[in-house]
Amino acid sequence: MPLIELKDVRKVYNRNLPNEVVALRNINIEIAAGAMVCLQGASGSGKSTLLSIIGCIFPPTSGRAAIAGRPLSRLPDRFMTIHRRQNIGFIFQQFNILPDLTVLENVGLPLMPLGVPPAERREKAMSLLEMLEMGHRADFPARQISGGQLQRAAIARALINDPPIILADEPTAHLDRELSLGFMKIMADLRQAGKTIILASHDHLITEHPAVERIIGIEDGRIHAA
Amino acid sequence: MSFAKQLNILDYALQGLWRRRLKTGGIVVIFSAVIFLAASFQFTIKALNNLVDQDLRATPEIVIQKMSAGRQESIPLNYIKKLKGIWGIRRVVPRIWGYYFDATTKANYTVIGLNYSKMPMGGLLDKALIKGSHLPGPGEALIGTGVKEVLRLPDKGAMLSLFRPDYSLKALKVSGVFMPSTDILTTDTILMNLPDSRDLFAIKPGLVTDLCVYVANPREVTTIARKIAARLPDTRVVPKSQIKETYREVFGWRGGFASICLLTAIAAFIIFAWDKASGMNPDEKREVAILKVIGWQTADILSLRFYEGFIVSSLSFLLGCTLAYAHVAFMGAGLFRPILTGWSVIQPRIMLRPALEFSDILLIFSLVVPPYMAATIVPAWRSAIIPPDAAVN
Repeated sequence: MPLIELKDVRKVYNRNLPNEVVALRNINIEIAAGAMVCLQGASGSGKSTLLSIIGCIFPPTSGRAAIAGRPLSRLPDRFMTIHRRQNIGFIFQQFNILPDLTVLENVGLPLMPLGVPPAERREKAMSLLEMLEMGHRADFPARQISGGQLQRAAIARALINDPPIILADEPTAHLDRELSLGFMKIMADLRQAGKTIILASHDHLITEHPAVERIIGIEDGRIHAA
Repeated sequence: MSFAKQLNILDYALQGLWRRRLKTGGIVVIFSAVIFLAASFQFTIKALNNLVDQDLRATPEIVIQKMSAGRQESIPLNYIKKLKGIWGIRRVVPRIWGYYFDATTKANYTVIGLNYSKMPMGGLLDKALIKGSHLPGPGEALIGTGVKEVLRLPDKGAMLSLFRPDYSLKALKVSGVFMPSTDILTTDTILMNLPDSRDLFAIKPGLVTDLCVYVANPREVTTIARKIAARLPDTRVVPKSQIKETYREVFGWRGGFASICLLTAIAAFIIFAWDKASGMNPDEKREVAILKVIGWQTADILSLRFYEGFIVSSLSFLLGCTLAYAHVAFMGAGLFRPILTGWSVIQPRIMLRPALEFSDILLIFSLVVPPYMAATIVPAWRSAIIPPDAAVN
């Protein structure tokens, strides 16, 4: 049974309004556990929308989306959040790290609503930051660290709940070649550790990376090569 | 688990308030100022009532005044004989109580003429005088601190010149001054013996303005007052409780009027709080979206906003009440004294001891904290339902 299964998925924004936009049309994808997949397409092609549906941020307008064995279409918001918390780690294009918190506090944020006590939160976050060679920046305010370090902080935050699926939206858009290669190495290592990685990008450095086993092309909301 | 989660959210709320300390501080300062005003009024009125209770201890339980055509007039001393036989009356002491307007200073003084030796607790008067003063003998007078200051007199030995109704001068030697702690009742007082006050106001022999009745058992005051009223139908019988009630009503009316102004201020602040809470800046919206995308639920964001509101309003409440207490206890409620006490140009200089009562604290709390929480709950809800995809795009 695939870890991610989308069947006839359609997503329409501003439905029945004059500014209605069809972002995805009849998407059919199956992704097995432990795969490393790249969603490739130009800006506005629909790859971020597809990533959001896989990431349980919103359900599709129609069609069936089952993530980690659970159909999303009729899942209430509350359970969608819990499902996302347990199964998905997100890495954003602009990192979405809160600039006024320290790196350590940012990484530990997903554990707060789980009731994890501060000491345990700190310990978990610290071990991830050390794994990503960011331990020396743990107590720095996020606004004082570089773009590459911000991204590693974002990776640590995505991993803190030990989710089986890691999603990254244009993860190398703000990085130079060296940092981008470093990011892909971390992703490859995570895949080796059993995580399922889905990257949305049009960066050749990602699409041509040897660890990426499959590329799904998206254009105007449709899959054109799978 | 749930408790630990709430602790974590509370911790995050505290951190957030500290991060936005300028905005938080601004709200706390304004809110505290509003609470300070409301609490000061409440504490001041309570302290004034306590002070009146304390200062009225030595006053007669019942005062009898003669009425004619609905107005007060002098009462004949032979009315005392008519009270004989009423069980429970300890003593009846004649008194002259009048007002003297000084055109030079435009001040009204309260002139009291008494025969201290006949008062059951006349000795207590000594305790109300500053050191070196003594009860006035013939041709002498005791004055309140307000009179002393308005007329710029020394503590004793000065001469006080007052005009009789026929504009002839009556000179009195100042034998001393009342202690400032009794200012609420004595600040504008000139106390002298009965014959001197009769002379000053040109009241005929055998007449006084009122009769002071002291009773043996304070529990019987109402019964005795009723009996006096029955026996002297042309008089007004005023028990001490009624005098207290008059003071309470005066303070209550003035305080109530001021409270309306303060409630308006509180309402204005609540509108301000609503406006501040509604107008989330893009960074705050983004923060909520990020929290939601990494697994915080709508209920968690609502809890966060609730804690923020509760911390801000409780902190303001504590700060406002503490400042109000200090203002009343150590500064004699200087900001509101002109509104709540005194008249004419003489204001009592009072040392207030605010009595903190749970009901007062609860009243102030319920006037400010729940309205603030209610005003911020809808904006909090609007903030909590920001979709997580706002962080993605």
